Amino acid sequence: MSGSSSEQAYEYLVLLPRQTHTKLYEQPSTVLAVFRCMLPHLAKTIVMAMLYMPTPFSAVDLEAWFRPEGKSVKDKALSALERLHIIQAKQDATRHMHYELSKGFANSLRQALTGGGTHRSFGVPSSTPDPNKVDTEFLDAYARKQWENILFYMVGSTVGLASSAQLSQDIGLGTKKLLEMGNFVQVRSGRVSITREGFTFVLQETNAQVWSLLIVYLRHTPELGMSETDVLSFLFMLGSLELGQDYTTSTLSETQLQMLEDLSAFGIVYRSSKNAATFYPTRLAVTLTSDAGALSTSDSLSSISASRSSSQQGFIIVETNYRLYAYTNSLLQISILSLFTKLTTRFPNLVSGKLTKESITRAVKLGISSSQILSYLTSHAHPQMQKHQPFLPPTVMDQIRLWEYEGERVETTPGFLMRDFKSWDEYRDLKEYAESLGVLVWHHDEKRWFFVNGVDQLSLYMKKKVTRGGE
Amino acid sequence: MVKAIRGTLVKCDASVKAMLVDIDSKHRNEFIIEDLDEEHVLVKETKVAQFKAMLQNMMKEKLKEPELSDSDD
Repeated sequence: MSGSSSEQAYEYLVLLPRQTHTKLYEQPSTVLAVFRCMLPHLAKTIVMAMLYMPTPFSAVDLEAWFRPEGKSVKDKALSALERLHIIQAKQDATRHMHYELSKGFANSLRQALTGGGTHRSFGVPSSTPDPNKVDTEFLDAYARKQWENILFYMVGSTVGLASSAQLSQDIGLGTKKLLEMGNFVQVRSGRVSITREGFTFVLQETNAQVWSLLIVYLRHTPELGMSETDVLSFLFMLGSLELGQDYTTSTLSETQLQMLEDLSAFGIVYRSSKNAATFYPTRLAVTLTSDAGALSTSDSLSSISASRSSSQQGFIIVETNYRLYAYTNSLLQISILSLFTKLTTRFPNLVSGKLTKESITRAVKLGISSSQILSYLTSHAHPQMQKHQPFLPPTVMDQIRLWEYEGERVETTPGFLMRDFKSWDEYRDLKEYAESLGVLVWHHDEKRWFFVNGVDQLSLYMKKKVTRGGE
Repeated sequence: MVKAIRGTLVKCDASVKAMLVDIDSKHRNEFIIEDLDEEHVLVKETKVAQFKAMLQNMMKEKLKEPELSDSDD
């Protein structure tokens, strides 16, 4: 599970082919968004240094910037840049390596930073005042309602808390289909139940949820007859818009108009009617490309830090005897709790129950992990609980982990075993490179074997080394 | 020449690994590609789910758990 939301978007972006990247980088707003939230800080520094450089940047000069101990950070930054096709490593006639910033990317970034041009990629505010203007509060409420409906659809129907008739009105057919395609829910003989991926999804913070759903959406754009590049650049544009401002739809392409409809079903944009000439981005949209939390979620799910800073305090009390009390009347929270708790009593402002072996193993079987449960309980711990460190009773935490471990005795990682190295140096060099990329999972120095969960960067590295070896 | 072998790394404790090896040997070695060390084996990617299910079955047979009662409910 990726923690940060932009990480997910990054994972999706790097898998795109070079042509798509080139096309994407035509839009200044896209380039700015990629620069702002996809790149590690060091990569930003490198890009900035090269941005106004008239000639390619020699690899030897770049090397001189770093101390030897910074090698792994440098490798990571350069690998991110290369995978996104932002820089290219080239060899000139004298067989010296040098780096070059991709032309389209450089042009667009310069345009985004200094302004100018008629690209209109940052959205065009509506010129005529909207008679039914809405304020940010309304937009927040709208976004929250739409989004919570989606979450509640997934969780509520699984635990059977929701009357399904009421739900089906609230979320559109398209959204349901999308959740199913993304494998977040399964529909078996008319009954909706949540999957392993769905759990991970629900427990993520809102921003990450939005990206997860949008990535599913992106994967299925070709089937809907939409262009992936169009969709992506529209999303990146949304990230640069201003909350509370209405934007005109007249500059949007056919695909993007079609998208608006879907996005308003998610609560990412708001339109007063289907044929309105303007649209409002909601907080879900404008935080797409920033790391700030989306939606000041008072009663929705949020990350630990977000929930502590928000005015709403935690509401869950767990006692050492595994009893759990939750001061909430939100159906969404109750249904999430009931995924891994044996709830027994419900009062107007309180539900109580117990964490049992049965309830935890049931959750584990459905794909929720003990760490997810613990982080959920910790981040929503009642202020009284927060006086102790750690917030949860250690016995309960240990027991939950043990219950999970009983059911799940093996840990699997798909990837590649690398073996048959000719020399110790060759082995060590490649292993260290894999380690610096963060793909090394297991290694056995005596056998000179190691296991990685990603191989494409390594093979690139080896190829480069072969050509360099011919010097 | 360096070889890259596609597969799934399975990490488990030594006792579980013994069971995995046992299952594998009873099924004409169609699961495990390589025995890595005491706690790791490399398994064919397509067979992981089946392998895990067989392990679950075996554990159910071998380890009879005492039924825990929630008496204080």
